[in-house]
This record gives sequence, structure tokens and C-alpha cells, in this order.
Amino acid sequence: MSAGLEFVLLVFMGLPLLIVLINNLLKREIAQKICLSLGLIAGIGQMVAAIVVFVSLNAAGQASVDFSQFWNLTAGASRFSVDFFSLLALFCIGMVVTAGFLTAGKTIGDKRFNFTNLAMIILLGMNGIALVTDLFSLYVFLEITGVASFVMIALNKEGNGIEGGFKYLVMSAIATAFILGGLAFIFMQSGSLLYSDVASALSDWQNVDQPALLIVAFALVLVGFSIKSGIMPFHGWLPDAYQSAPAAVSVILGGIVTKMAGVYAILRLTGDIFVGVNLVNQILMLLAIVSIVLGAVAAITQTDFKRILAYSSISQIGYILLGASCGSAIGLIGAMLHFFNHATFKTTLFVNSAAVETATGTTEIEKLGGLQEKMPVTGVSSILAFLSTAGIPPLAGFWSKLLIILAVWQTGNFFIAGLALFASIFTAAYFLRLQRCVFFGSAVEGLENTKEVTGGICLSSVVLSVITVGFGLLFPLVLLFVQSQGLI
Amino acid sequence: MTTFVIVLCLVLMVGFALSAAMLRSMLKSAVSLAAMSAALAVILYMMGAVWAALFELSVCVGLITVVFISAISLTTPDRRDEAHTKDHRQRFAALPFILIAAGVALIAVLVSTGFYLPQPGEEAVAEAAFNQVLWQTRQADILGQILILLAGAFAVVVLFKEGRKI
Repeated sequence: MSAGLEFVLLVFMGLPLLIVLINNLLKREIAQKICLSLGLIAGIGQMVAAIVVFVSLNAAGQASVDFSQFWNLTAGASRFSVDFFSLLALFCIGMVVTAGFLTAGKTIGDKRFNFTNLAMIILLGMNGIALVTDLFSLYVFLEITGVASFVMIALNKEGNGIEGGFKYLVMSAIATAFILGGLAFIFMQSGSLLYSDVASALSDWQNVDQPALLIVAFALVLVGFSIKSGIMPFHGWLPDAYQSAPAAVSVILGGIVTKMAGVYAILRLTGDIFVGVNLVNQILMLLAIVSIVLGAVAAITQTDFKRILAYSSISQIGYILLGASCGSAIGLIGAMLHFFNHATFKTTLFVNSAAVETATGTTEIEKLGGLQEKMPVTGVSSILAFLSTAGIPPLAGFWSKLLIILAVWQTGNFFIAGLALFASIFTAAYFLRLQRCVFFGSAVEGLENTKEVTGGICLSSVVLSVITVGFGLLFPLVLLFVQSQGLI
Repeated sequence: MTTFVIVLCLVLMVGFALSAAMLRSMLKSAVSLAAMSAALAVILYMMGAVWAALFELSVCVGLITVVFISAISLTTPDRRDEAHTKDHRQRFAALPFILIAAGVALIAVLVSTGFYLPQPGEEAVAEAAFNQVLWQTRQADILGQILILLAGAFAVVVLFKEGRKI
């Protein structure tokens, strides 16, 4: 691989760190003025870098590339690497962080300096999760993301924010104990924690010394990652954290952090390490369907915009895991595409909740109403995002859900496929209720003079909606690419 | 003697973990969590994992506890009434029994399947010096450690440097 491409890869780990340094070396008054622009540069730069690496890899006919130029390889293996899936994740991270910074312009106030510092640390943590090739390093970068997220949630130092952040930190600490326990068992069996070494040690897993030990290890690690991603029944902290965080933080947290800190790691485990282990897939499928159904049912009863989105995330994350649990290429691709789609439409919805909160001062849906005429961009982008979430064609969410349900059908679990399909009706139900309460009907008293929030928030909503519609319409091209790579 | 200390620390660990989950006071919970980590650090030390014990002691007992207690000190005093405290106790009353039942079930499964913990793999028993392992095979983790320290520093700035709002 050319050194130039290695330099592009350095953008993922170097640029955020550089921005933290610049931000803190500048005079505070200057930093306050330009810090959000610096954050935008990091987000957009990451998206561009991901596209450049993707095009280069595709042109070279390579599936992955090791990041070795700046690291000592005496141990015989690269510690950072990218493949198509990690590039997709890196692009999603860049996209959501960009949306977060655009939202922060009108919502974060005088906390922008600290917001930028912490967002860059979270960006580094998530990039590390996407790039590492070692389970222990994965754990280290998970911790970075967790600690920085706690501080971000408590950024306003309000009681609810600190309580929400505290819950996140405590649950994160419990998850850590589970993950470390599981990794210790895996290390005992394989003698290494590099993905490739563990995968080859487990390739004939039924003939390893003690298969039961590996199942216990998987169960421990799965519980840990499930807590971090807020999958039912490990979701207790998630709605409180999303609701109490400042608007821009909710965008980053709900849009990508929980997915990278839990779901991505689970996809790596099932796609790269525990490949073809039926019991593992069955456990995951059970967890996924519970999350899909209960998350959707719980969302129906919520009365706060952000809490509805939080429970919706729990349900949609279940779909991603359901795809991964099928153990087939089509299921894994469906999961990866839903990962991307969820990052897009859920970020749109969190940006919209920020717009509503900025314009009206509340996210309680019972205090809202008739905002469609006052905030047309927010209203329309909300409809597009929720239709995509519910899996309505031809929007992006339809295709990824279709692939996932097809993959489940192929495994012979017809009941679970039906249940996943049926849960989409619940998704439509809670979003219709949300749309009706917030945007439709006549304006409630006190909101007659509400106006659309312009600037970065509006731009984010529009761009993300275009991606949702465009990705749905151009989906055949995505399928052709996947086919050309021999993935399906 | 070593076995006795390890078993004692294991019992203490479970006890402190239970109290961390069941105590109504968040401050006492945080202290219990720190004590649990300290017991774990002793176990790690007795089993020969000196560096792991050191990290456990410095990160979990030190840094995490400081962050927890800082967060608690920034929240408003808990003024919930007696009924809430009683409700909290009732909610967690079953926890020790569930833990004991799970422990007994686990031991039964382990005994019936002839379960044992294998020896660590080659990488773990290699006689490489600690600094060699750290600098040559765990470079990514060093970057991670630097970032965690940076996040900790920003946490202190965000939570303490600017005046208290509550």
C-alpha cells in the first residue's frame, strides 16, 4: 500500500488529536469562536478520508489494509487496520459528528470549548474501536468513549444531566467487568487477543479444549457489549442518558456512540471471531428479537420526544443484531447497511428534536402541536426519517430491513422473521403518534410565534434526509457493488 | 495461607459488590465499589499478576472512585422520603439470594462437566520484560491510556474548574 494512503489513514487518529491541541493552545476567546469550525473540519475530513480510502481499496482490488507506517511491527501484526465495514463505520462517525457540531452552533452556548475537546476524544475513541485488530485494544478504546461520554452528558452540570451521566458510567463499569472476564477466558484458550489469532484458534471451536468455556466467554462479552449498546434487557441507563444530555450531545450519543461502543463490537465478534457457532447465533437472535419487540412497545408509551427516540434506538439496534445473528453473508450485509441507515435516520430525528427544543423550549410531546406549518423543514425531514425507520419503500431503511428479514427467513426461523416484520407496525405507530402530537393539528397556546430554526440544524436535517432518500433510490448500485466484491 | 487470603478477598469482593448495588447512599455505594476493586487488586497480586494489580488499584480504586465521588458531590442532596428508601431496599432484597442461587448453580455445572481453567497461552507466559511487551506489542493501548488521561483531565475541567451551577 502506498505511503500516501497511510497518510490518509492517519487522519482518523491524528486529526482529532491535532484539533484538541490547537483548541487548547489558542487563546480562550479565539478558541471559543473557532472551536466548532475545527470540529466540523474533523467530521468532514473523516468522511472525505473514508471515501478516499474506500475508492483506493476498491481500485486496488484489496479488501483491507493494515496501518503500519507509524507503528512498530516487531510483534508481527498490525494493530490498526481497515476493511469495508470499518470504513462504513468511520464514514458514519464522521457524518454524525458533523451533524453534532452543526447542531451545537445554536444549542451548546458557552460550553462549546469543552464540547469540542470532549467530542474529539469521543471521535478518537470511536475511530479506535473501528480500526483496532485486538480485543484488548478494543476494550481500551471503549473505555475512552465511555469516560468522555459521561462528561459530555453532564456538560451542563444540571442535576438530571449528572444523574444520567452517572448511570451511564456505573453501567459502563459493570459492562467492563463482564467484557474483561470474557476476554480473559478467550485469552486462556487462544493465547492471544488479536482478532486473526483468536479466529484461527476458534476455527474448529468444537474441538478446542473446552467449548463450554468459550460459550461462557462469549456470553460475558455479549452481556458487556449489550449493556454498552443499551439492548433490552440491559437498557436501563439509555433513555435517561439520552433525555438528560444537551441536544448536540444527544445527536452524537444517539446517532453513533452507543452503536460503536456495543453493536459494532458485537458485529466484529460474530463476523470475525465466533464465525459459524450456532449457539452463539441463537443467543444473539433471541436477544435481538426481545430488543426489537420490547423497545418498540416501550416507545409507544413515552411522552418525551428524546425518550421515544431512545426506545426506538433500542428496537432498531435489535434489527442490526438480528441480521448479524443469521450467520450468513446476506444477514451480515443487511446488518451493516441497517447500521448505516440507523445512523442516518436516527441522527436526523435527534437533530429535529434539538430544533424543536430550541424553538419551543420543551421536548414533552403533550406540550407541543401544530409545528408543521411553523417548522416545515423539521416536519418533512421527520416524516422521511420515521418512514425510513419503519421500513417503508423506497427509503433506505426498507432495503436493509428487507435483507435482514430475508436472512432470518433463510435460517428457517419463520416465527422470528414474522415477529420482526410485525414490529415495524409498532414502529409506525409510535412515530405516527409522535408526528401527530408534535407537528400536526393546530398550534398549541404559546407556540403561535414559533419559527423554524435555521443554520446548521436545518442544514443537517436537509442533508441527512437527502442521504436517506438517495441511498434508498440508489440501493441497486449498492447491491451491485456488494455482488462485485463477491460478498453475496 | 495464600489460598486463605484469596478466598477471603473473594468473599469480601462479593460482599462489597452487593453493598455497592444495595446501599441507598450513592457515596457509600461508590466507596463499596472502590473496596471491591481493592480486594480484586489483592487477589491479582497474590496470583502473580503484579502489573494488573497495580493498574486495578490506580485506575479503579483511584481514578474511577474520584470521578464517581466528584459526580455525587455535584448532585443535589437526596431528599427522598422514607418510603423511597424502603422501596429501594425491597427492590434489591432478592439480590443476595439470586447471587447465592446462581453461585450454587454455577458450581454444580462446573463440577458436573469437569470444568477447569486452562493455563494461559504462550503470549501470557512469555518471559518478555513488561516494558518490552508494553512498547512493542501494546502500542495501541498506550495511545488509549494517553487519551483516557486526557478525558479525565477534561472531566476535571468541565466538572470543577467552571463554577458550580447546582
